[in-house]
Amino acid sequence: MGQLQLWLSALEMGCFFGLLALAYYLVLVGAGFFNFAIGPYAMVGGLCTSYLVLYEDMNVWAAAVIAVLVSAALAVVTELAVVRQVQRRAGRGELPALVAVAAVLFAIQQLGGYLFGYTTLPGQALLTFDPVPLGDTVAQPSTVLLLGFTVVAFAAAALWIRYTRTGRLLRAVGDSTHAAGLLGLPVNRVRLIAFLVSGLLAGITGLLFAPKAGVSSLSGLSWALSGFLAMVVGGTGSVWAPLVGGLLLGLVEVFVPYYFGGQSHVYGLLLVALLFFAFKPSGLFVRRIRA
Amino acid sequence: MAETLLVGSGLTKRYGGVTALQDVSFELRAGEILGLVGPNGAGKTTLVDLISGAQPATEGELTLRGQRLSGPAARRAKAGLARTFQYPQLALDLTVAENLLLGRAARRHGTVWQMVAGSFAGALRPHLASDTQAVAKLAEELGIDRLDRPAGDLSLGEQRLVEVGRALGQDPLVLLLDEPFAGSDASGVHGIVEVVRTVQRRGHAVILVDHNVDLVAGLVDRIMLLDRGRAVFDGNPQECLGSPEMQQVYFGVAAAEDDQEDASHVVS
Amino acid sequence: MKRVPGSFGLLLGLVGAALILLWVGADGYKQTLITTTATYALIALGMYVPYLMAGSLSMAYGAYAGIGGYAVGLLSSRTGLPLILAWIAGPVVAAAVAVLLGLATRRLSGFFLAAVTLLFGMAFTALLVDAEGLSGGSGGLGSLRKLNILGWVPSHYQVVVGSLVVVCVIAFLLDRLRMSPWGVIVRTMRDAPRAVEAAGVRVSVMNLVSLAIGAAIAAVGGGLFTYSAGSVTPDTFTLNLVFLAIFMPLIGGSATPWGAVLGAVIAVELTLNFPAVQTSGTLILALGVLVILLLAPQGVIGYASRLARLVGGRRG
Repeated sequence: MGQLQLWLSALEMGCFFGLLALAYYLVLVGAGFFNFAIGPYAMVGGLCTSYLVLYEDMNVWAAAVIAVLVSAALAVVTELAVVRQVQRRAGRGELPALVAVAAVLFAIQQLGGYLFGYTTLPGQALLTFDPVPLGDTVAQPSTVLLLGFTVVAFAAAALWIRYTRTGRLLRAVGDSTHAAGLLGLPVNRVRLIAFLVSGLLAGITGLLFAPKAGVSSLSGLSWALSGFLAMVVGGTGSVWAPLVGGLLLGLVEVFVPYYFGGQSHVYGLLLVALLFFAFKPSGLFVRRIRA
Repeated sequence: MAETLLVGSGLTKRYGGVTALQDVSFELRAGEILGLVGPNGAGKTTLVDLISGAQPATEGELTLRGQRLSGPAARRAKAGLARTFQYPQLALDLTVAENLLLGRAARRHGTVWQMVAGSFAGALRPHLASDTQAVAKLAEELGIDRLDRPAGDLSLGEQRLVEVGRALGQDPLVLLLDEPFAGSDASGVHGIVEVVRTVQRRGHAVILVDHNVDLVAGLVDRIMLLDRGRAVFDGNPQECLGSPEMQQVYFGVAAAEDDQEDASHVVS
Repeated sequence: MKRVPGSFGLLLGLVGAALILLWVGADGYKQTLITTTATYALIALGMYVPYLMAGSLSMAYGAYAGIGGYAVGLLSSRTGLPLILAWIAGPVVAAAVAVLLGLATRRLSGFFLAAVTLLFGMAFTALLVDAEGLSGGSGGLGSLRKLNILGWVPSHYQVVVGSLVVVCVIAFLLDRLRMSPWGVIVRTMRDAPRAVEAAGVRVSVMNLVSLAIGAAIAAVGGGLFTYSAGSVTPDTFTLNLVFLAIFMPLIGGSATPWGAVLGAVIAVELTLNFPAVQTSGTLILALGVLVILLLAPQGVIGYASRLARLVGGRRG
């Protein structure tokens, strides 16, 4: 496998992780919460699309729209029915919220398996065109779509946060929910929007990534972990930070097994997690609070 | 002359651009009750934190019975310190009896070996008669009843009382009480005063923090007045009450006296 | 009349065990179901001390159970030592690994700790696959010897009985531990760690001790499962199991370790023995957990004891 192919693969994985990390970022900044269920939202996006196309003979675009709407709906339900209740009740620490999100993750995983089956389904290509030649290798259409979507999503998120009212509110609400409430800011609405957008984003990401290696109801867990790790590595200092974190993890994911063989990408991720959580838990890009 | 228990010299705490404590020194003798007073932000709790090890000192030294007092809070507690907190730190789900037990239980689980062996011992014999009796005695001295209520059901004053009882269970050389009277009713105050007297009788010492100087002055042997991180008075409580330092710190009276002098000069 | 602490729970547990044994009889399938239940119960009991008492959620329990399982497998296939020693070696190694992981993660809590320990569990599984020479790779280890305790070779039924006894004994001991001074210290660590430090106990060290105890118990369960299944592979102790281990005490009730046991019984019943399609049982479990979290956080035992108190006036 040529070097360029490896770099392309790392870039693709990096963008995938980065998009998931962006979804985490939005919920963290807007609701102060680590929504591990983002992995399963992405899984639903991919699995539902594949299922509808393969077993219900649906047009791929129609299936994709339905799948993304389902994953967005799951995100909304997570916020309204679960997170909001638990966060309101919990006086002591993060444990109840953590257990609640683990339960949601598990439930969506089971729901996905129940509705769409337990086998790994191949991903569905939204657009088919000739693979793009790059040096001594080619880029598959799904890869091109994923990379393109990454640029679009991050640019849109950056513009949204900086130039729209809701986007600017996002940071204010997440920073200090209590103060924001006192100021009369629409805390609940902003939280809901954060969850909704992250659900949409995760769903699209899942279905765009599925063609690479397929998707099953169990994919959500490792995707959830990778996305979380990418977000922590990147930090919350800038809306592009999740992408940097994702790309870093993409490099680890592809190059570590290349040099060390076997399953070593898992060891690599574990090492990155231990190092970053212990020494740089606020990530590479730290929020600078303007005084 | 009673033995010197606790000596602090040159204690200083700086963080960011703030100097919370500047060069505070004191001596505490066996059987002595020291009152630590001053307005909000004077550095009283900071001083208690430095003594107990909750925060590291920027400069300065502490010795307990001649031995250097340093390291994390747990090590200092084993050396003979016990404290309560400005806001009571209780396990709200556990019963009053269980919260009272903590101080006594902690003495038997200080080292790794004790922690491991203690787990086996606990599974084999969960309730020791000596513990039950000791907790009952503590409760009686403090005037707490209905020991199997969850601690979360208690009022703030009652919670403070339990925290003081827990600290007493450690049988400390020096007991640090951080604003124990805030939110307490008459019987709560009485209970805490009893505890302080008990510690005194045992030949140990107490540092009592409060900003109600009148209440404290009647109880303590000595008062130390802090103002903006510095110790401005250290001596007899009755002298402190009328002193110019007190006036300055609490009422800013010194400036007014100058004005009066000028006015009288003009009039005559 | 002086009551032995924890005896009420033990009584109920033994009664439950007796009923289960009556139900099982000689049916091989049911016997397997019960040893699986016992394994789940032991893993949940293993999580009880650090998670429910100290408030620290580690998701590495699949790895600890796996260490227990592979200890049995390795001792059986690579050495001639008496197999019973695997139930000492496995827990000791698991406890050591838990302490090392605990040291590496001592500053972490909540979501970060959960993520890292989950990754650790995945890395452990990956290691089992990679270290073929030692672990038998993805095929795992099989054809295990039978237990031979001083000449007595227990039958399968006797192994089932033995596993229920082990569960009851450990639940009983943990119940007493919870009530003991040690238990008071650990439970206070959850909500008021500053108080524990100020009383003279280093919270970080105590945390490591409770992690070690939990890992050892989980390893006992892993060894038990491997012995009764006859083999162990890297996939035997799945991540699913870790999630279930978190949910089992929640369903049964977290005020006493017997809640974890009850939760295990319910979990196995729903996931493996459900009359409808096997897999929908897990979905019902998952949804049930959410319902309990939101509406009935005290679990089955919590509500049962509240009911008992209303009726009889005895504290649960």
